[in-house]
Formats: sequence, structure tokens, C-alpha cells
Amino acid sequence: MIRKAWVGAIAGALVSLGLGLAQAETLATPSYTFNKPTVIAGAKLFAEHCSSCHAVGSLRYNRLAGDLGMTKAEIKKDIMLPGGSHYLEGMEPAMTQADAAKWFGLPPPDLSHIVRATGARFIYTYLTSFYWDPQRPSGWNNHVFPNVAMPNVLAPWGGTYAKDGKELKAGVEPKAAYDQQVADIVAFLRYASDPSVFVRREIGGYVIGTLVVLSILAYFMKREYWKDVHDREEAQKKGEGMGTGSSKPKS
Amino acid sequence: MAKTVEGKKDGPNMGRRRFLTAATSVVGVAAIGTMAVAMVDSLEPTAAEAAAGVTVANLDPIEAGMQLTVPWQKNPVIIVNRTPAMLATLGEMEKKGILRDPNSDVPQQPTYCKNQYRSRKPEWLVMVRICTHLCCIPHYRPKKGTVTPWWLGGFHCPCHGSMYDLSGRVTKGSPAPHNMVVPDYTFSSDGKSVTITTMPPHAHLC
Amino acid sequence: MSKFGDWLNERFPAREMMREHLTEYYAPKNFNILYYTGSLLLLMIVFQFVSGFLLMAHYVPTSKEAFSSVQGIMYDTRWGWLVRYMHVDGVSLIFILLYLHMGRGMLYGSYRKPRELLWLIGYVIYIMMMGEAFFGYILPFGNLSYWAGVVITSIVHAIPVIGPGLTTLVRGGTGIGTATLERFLALHAVLWFMIIAALIVLHILALHQVGSNNPDGIEIKKLKGADGIPLDGIPFHPYYTVKDVFGVGVFLTIFAAIIFYAPTMHGVFLERTTFFPANPMVSLPDVTPPWYLAPYYAMLRAIPNKYEGIILMAAAVMFPFFLPWLDRNPVRSSRYRPVYKAMIIIMGITFFTLAWVGEQPALPKYFLVERLGAAIYIGFYVLLPIISSIEPTKKVPERVRS
Repeated sequence: MIRKAWVGAIAGALVSLGLGLAQAETLATPSYTFNKPTVIAGAKLFAEHCSSCHAVGSLRYNRLAGDLGMTKAEIKKDIMLPGGSHYLEGMEPAMTQADAAKWFGLPPPDLSHIVRATGARFIYTYLTSFYWDPQRPSGWNNHVFPNVAMPNVLAPWGGTYAKDGKELKAGVEPKAAYDQQVADIVAFLRYASDPSVFVRREIGGYVIGTLVVLSILAYFMKREYWKDVHDREEAQKKGEGMGTGSSKPKS
Repeated sequence: MAKTVEGKKDGPNMGRRRFLTAATSVVGVAAIGTMAVAMVDSLEPTAAEAAAGVTVANLDPIEAGMQLTVPWQKNPVIIVNRTPAMLATLGEMEKKGILRDPNSDVPQQPTYCKNQYRSRKPEWLVMVRICTHLCCIPHYRPKKGTVTPWWLGGFHCPCHGSMYDLSGRVTKGSPAPHNMVVPDYTFSSDGKSVTITTMPPHAHLC
Repeated sequence: MSKFGDWLNERFPAREMMREHLTEYYAPKNFNILYYTGSLLLLMIVFQFVSGFLLMAHYVPTSKEAFSSVQGIMYDTRWGWLVRYMHVDGVSLIFILLYLHMGRGMLYGSYRKPRELLWLIGYVIYIMMMGEAFFGYILPFGNLSYWAGVVITSIVHAIPVIGPGLTTLVRGGTGIGTATLERFLALHAVLWFMIIAALIVLHILALHQVGSNNPDGIEIKKLKGADGIPLDGIPFHPYYTVKDVFGVGVFLTIFAAIIFYAPTMHGVFLERTTFFPANPMVSLPDVTPPWYLAPYYAMLRAIPNKYEGIILMAAAVMFPFFLPWLDRNPVRSSRYRPVYKAMIIIMGITFFTLAWVGEQPALPKYFLVERLGAAIYIGFYVLLPIISSIEPTKKVPERVRS
């Protein structure tokens, strides 16, 4: 229960930040195409950089495999961590919550619904808004989430920046490639918060197509039946059908 | 209506009307039917149920000749550490010719357990401890002569007297129709624990 | 078939009911697009029943497990996402249809004599629907659910004398917890739903007693042929049944497009803050109701005084109830009442502006819109008796326009 309360507290802080920010300034939009390859790339990056602390507890590994068309072997090799949860279970971190609370003061939040709750644009902006701040215990601060406990684990790749945006230390990745990788992580989290998205896209066309066919058939059926009504109007206009112009249904 | 429009050229075309009604009905029923299948499917066991169905058992405390029974998917699963002497009885039982399905032809086990030991490793028996007759839990009777004078060790069901050998193979004359079920399982790489996962697809539990 | 039919009809009035409510129920032939809303609402209630039943088969009404059981439906249940999106998006679509349905009644004077009772039953259904939606809103137990529950039950607290006791009774304790979820589930799925279903039956029976109104507001029963059938009436079956099948097809296409491609409707049909578990320690930055209740919420905020705000909101909800007696003009349809038509259009725009402003955070910059909206809304009902007695009207034709 205490853990839940903390997760909620962080979540609440995130929400207020996300909503406040949405009002205050424009968020950066990650430039990615949201599809299976970007989500798979994001899942691998997430496993590499994030999942040692963050759980995606609602998303099971086997669900991930099914939705993204990956094999169990691929999942085991690229996504699952040693000491983590079982293949049939949700993505749980290798780090125990007790350790996490010791290191960061708070356990890192479960990220299952984070994109649904705060928006992809907020997450992308947050991940690219870290700056070096020696006054923080972790050495890190964030423009859109002041005094966040999380350190910038992506700094070796993306570079270290001062609060004013000056580059203190270059990252090993070129900027475009790095931005793409962050966008892929966001793509994965977006999928994780709405895992039915690929199934919906796959079958949505057929469902809507069937209903359109139904509507067209029903339209012609309606028009055919309503010829009676128009005939009756004609008859009434000519004055010949007054009184007998009832339209009885055909049995 | 028919009365007033009779003889009119553009009166109702009953054939067309019937065709359109039938076509709309067919598409409509197909749509409702498809949706109904999905709706009923939503009542099938969930992924959480499937994940909760995995049991990991530690083999360390089970000494030779002893057993441990663990709950798995709300069923008891017995894990027996069989001694070489106990394994020898399996061949003897076959020779007696009193086993109903000595070669485990009925798919009551995963294909990798379709052998005399009905297991991955000869000494370790991992089996759902439920009599295939009427779902009772059989007694584990490893000692010779404890059930009948010719008893070589095995399982004996207290409800209706079904008898099984130490691989869970049922004897002729028992009311139980099949051998007891062996679930899917894997040993950990160090061989110190076993993970029991799923039921073989065609297994008849009881 | 007919042998079985005879057997059945000796014991049950199946054919009689068919005749009375379908094949010999004569509806005006000039229904327009707004007249699809009734049958679509009926369809949606059936959908809510089916999807609600399936959700309940997986839902756990405890403060610890409610949130995770709903997420379990989304992640672990086969087709669970389809069932939940149907249920969640269905609510918004029901309210869209309800507002169109009621707006149609106002446009064409369908609340007027002899249809007062029909209007009243319908309006009670609408009020019950608001309660049904509220109970359902709490059940997923996201943080929004929790705080919406706290805020709304604290409105009950404002009722004089019995308020505090009633709040505890509604909540099942001092706060919102397992007891609240259990009783809200019982109310949502059993009592409220049964009352709504019964009221719908009464609504249809009352409609078939007085007959349907139409866009011209002309009583078709006044002009009958020699066979006693209204000249402008056509049997409901097959003409309106086939027409409604077409309406259902188009509507379901839209419904499917929402479910498959925009299930949260960008946070309007399913709000972002429902994706965090309930947390009594963290209040939301702003608790706004779903869009369909937002107009009343905006009026509540228009007055910076708790009791007066609640009274204004209650009045806003209750005013349309008295519409049959507030409108004093002999002409029914707004087609022949230009002033009334203009009033209704302004009223409609005001209502949806209030819905928009009710969704915005409680900031002083919105006060003017809130107050102006509330004034126009209340003004409509207060001025209606006067304006309707003096407004100019056009000549109403004998027969409906086709």
C-alpha cells in the first residue's frame, strides 16, 4: 500500500506537471512513425536503459511478443532481463523496489499507462529536457519536471547540457540518431499504454468495411420499400387514392 | 398498397425487395454473429489466469524416494525423486502385462515425456496427482506389498481403488480409464528447481 | 410456423402486440434525420447492457483491486479492450444521442399536449442516465474517479439537515473506498439500470398511446382516410424499421471508427487522469466532469458561493422538466415560430459553450463565459412563457410537408 501511495504521488505530480505544461508552453512532438519497427526498436532501448528500474507491469512479455510479431527467443534475448519476471508475467524490473527507494528516495514509477496519462509529447520533452545541476543529489535536474529524482541515464549517448542549454559534454550519438532513439522509446511507451492499438488497426478496416456494406444495402432496401410511400403520395395528389391509400405491409 | 399500385409500371419490385432484405439480413447477422463470438471469447481465461498457472518448485528438499506435492492451477502436482530400485519396478510392471497403456499412447503427457519414466529426467516424476476416474487424490504407496501382495510400489486411489505404477500408469481392472496427467514443465539450468507451466492440450484430467 | 404461431397466440398476444406497436402503429411520413435517435438510443442501451455484463464478469469492486482489474480487462482479457471501449465510448454516444433526441423534442414541440407525460418520462430517464453515468464513472477507480466521487458526494453534503448523514450513507463510510465501490456497482448494474429499463418501456408505451409528433408539429390523427388510417401516417413496420436499419448501419460505422481509431477521443471520452490509480493523497490539478455533465458544472462554478451554486445547478437540471407548461404558444413546431427557433438555436450554442467551459480549469478568465452562459440558459426558461404568448407565428399547413 505504501508503495502504491508513492507511485500515486509521483503520478499525481507528473499529471499536474503535464497538464500545467500543456497550458504553459508548446511541447516538442517526437518525430517518428508509430509502427511495429519503431516500437520494437523502442522496446529494445527501453530494456537496455530503463527497465532495470522501471516496470511496465501491465504488459506481459508474451503479449508483447504476440502484438509485435516477435518470437519468444527474441524477447528473451533482447527484452527480458536476468532476474526479471517470467515470460507470462508483466515486465517487472530487476531492481527491487526496496533498493530503488534507498537509492532514489522513491521507487521509480510503473510506466504502463504513462503515455495515456501524460501524453507522448510530454514524455518526449521530459526525456530531452535534462540539464546538469550540481546542487541535486543525482547531479541532474529537468526543465519540465523540476527536482526530479531520476538521473539522465541517456547522457552518455545524448550529451550533457547546462541549464542555459550550453553543451558541457558531447554524447556518442549524433543528435538526429539520438532524437530518433528517444522517439522510439516514446513509441514503445505509447504502445505499452494502449497495447490493443495494432490489433485495432489490423481489423478496424474490415469492421468498418462490413458496416459500410451493411449501410449501403440497407439504404437500397429502405429506398425500395419507401417507393410505396411515394406512390401513395402520387395517388393522393391525383385525388384517386383518398381513403384507400393506406400502405399495408406485405406479409 | 398492392391494390392501389397494381398495374403501375413503377410499382414495388417484389423480387428486388426480397433480395435486398435478404442481403441486408445476411450481412447484419454476420456482423452480429462475429461480435457475439468476440463477446463470448472475452469470458475465456485471461492472460493473468495463464500466468498465475505457473508454479516453480524447489527440488532441493526432496530426498531420494520422497515426494513433494505442490499446488498448480488449483491442482495438486506430485514431484517424486525416484530411486534406481523404484525405476526398476517400471520394467517389471510392463513385463507383468497388467498396464492398460504401458507405452503412454494416450496423450496424457507432453511428447517429451512419452517414455517408460513419463518424465524428462528418469528420477524425477512430475505429475498431476489426480485419479483419471473421478478426480480423487491417490495415495502415494512406494513400498512393496502395501496395497496388494503383488504391489511393487505406485499410487492407489482411496475412492474406487484405481491402481497406478510409479510412473502413474494405470493397471488393467482399475475403474480409471487413463494414466495420470503429466503437465508441461522445465528444469532450471542448474537442475535445482522445476517450473510447471501448462496442461498438455489433449490431456484428460478426470 | 403458423401452427406454432396459432399455438403461441392462444396463450400470448404476440400478433396483437406486433400489430399494435409495429404494423398498425402509424407514424408520420415526414420524419427527418433527428428521428433516428430514438431507435439508436434503444440499441445503445442494449449494447451497454451486454458490454457492462461482460465487464462485470472481470471487475473487482475493491479499492485495492478495482483499478488493476480494469487494466486487466484492457491488457489480459481477450477482446477486453473492445468490450471496455464499447462501454466507455458508448456513454458519450448515448449522451450525444440524448441531447439530439431532447433537442428534437424542443425544436418540434414534442413536449406539448398531449405528449407532456411522454416528455416527463423521457426527462426522468435523462436524469437517471446522469446518475448511471456517475456511478459507472467511479468504478474504474482511477484518480479522476476518486476525486469525482469525492466532489459529487460532497454536493449531497450541502442538502440541509439530512446532507451529512446522506453523504455517509452514499459513501458507505467517511471516505470513498471499497464500500462505495460495492454499492455503486450494485446501483449501476442493478437498481439504476432496472429503473431506466422500466422507464424506457413506459416511454415507448406512452409514445404509442399518443402517437409520434413530427417536424411540422401537425397532429396526423386529425386527417384520416375512409379506412381510419391517418393520411400522413405510414405503418412503422416495414417503413421505419427498414429506415432504422439504415440508420443503425451508419451509426455503427461511426461507433466502430471511434472504437478502432480514436477510443479515448483525445481524452474527451476517456480522460487522461483515469489512467492513474485512485490516490487520496494527491488531488488532481482540476477536477472536471465528463463533457456531458460539464454544462451544469460550469453553472455551478458561475456563482462563487457553494449553496447558491448548487441551487443554480439544480434549477438548471430541473427547468426543462416544466417545458410543457412554460411554452404557451398554440403552434408546436419551431418551423412556424421564427422567434422560438432563434431562442432554441441560441440555447443550443449556449449549452455546448457551457460544456466546453466546464471542461476548462477553474480560472477567473472563464467567469464571464460561465455567468453569461448560465444567464442565457436560465433566461430561456424564464422568458419562454412571456415570449411564447406574444411571438408572431407563420401559418401552419393542413398536411405535413414531405
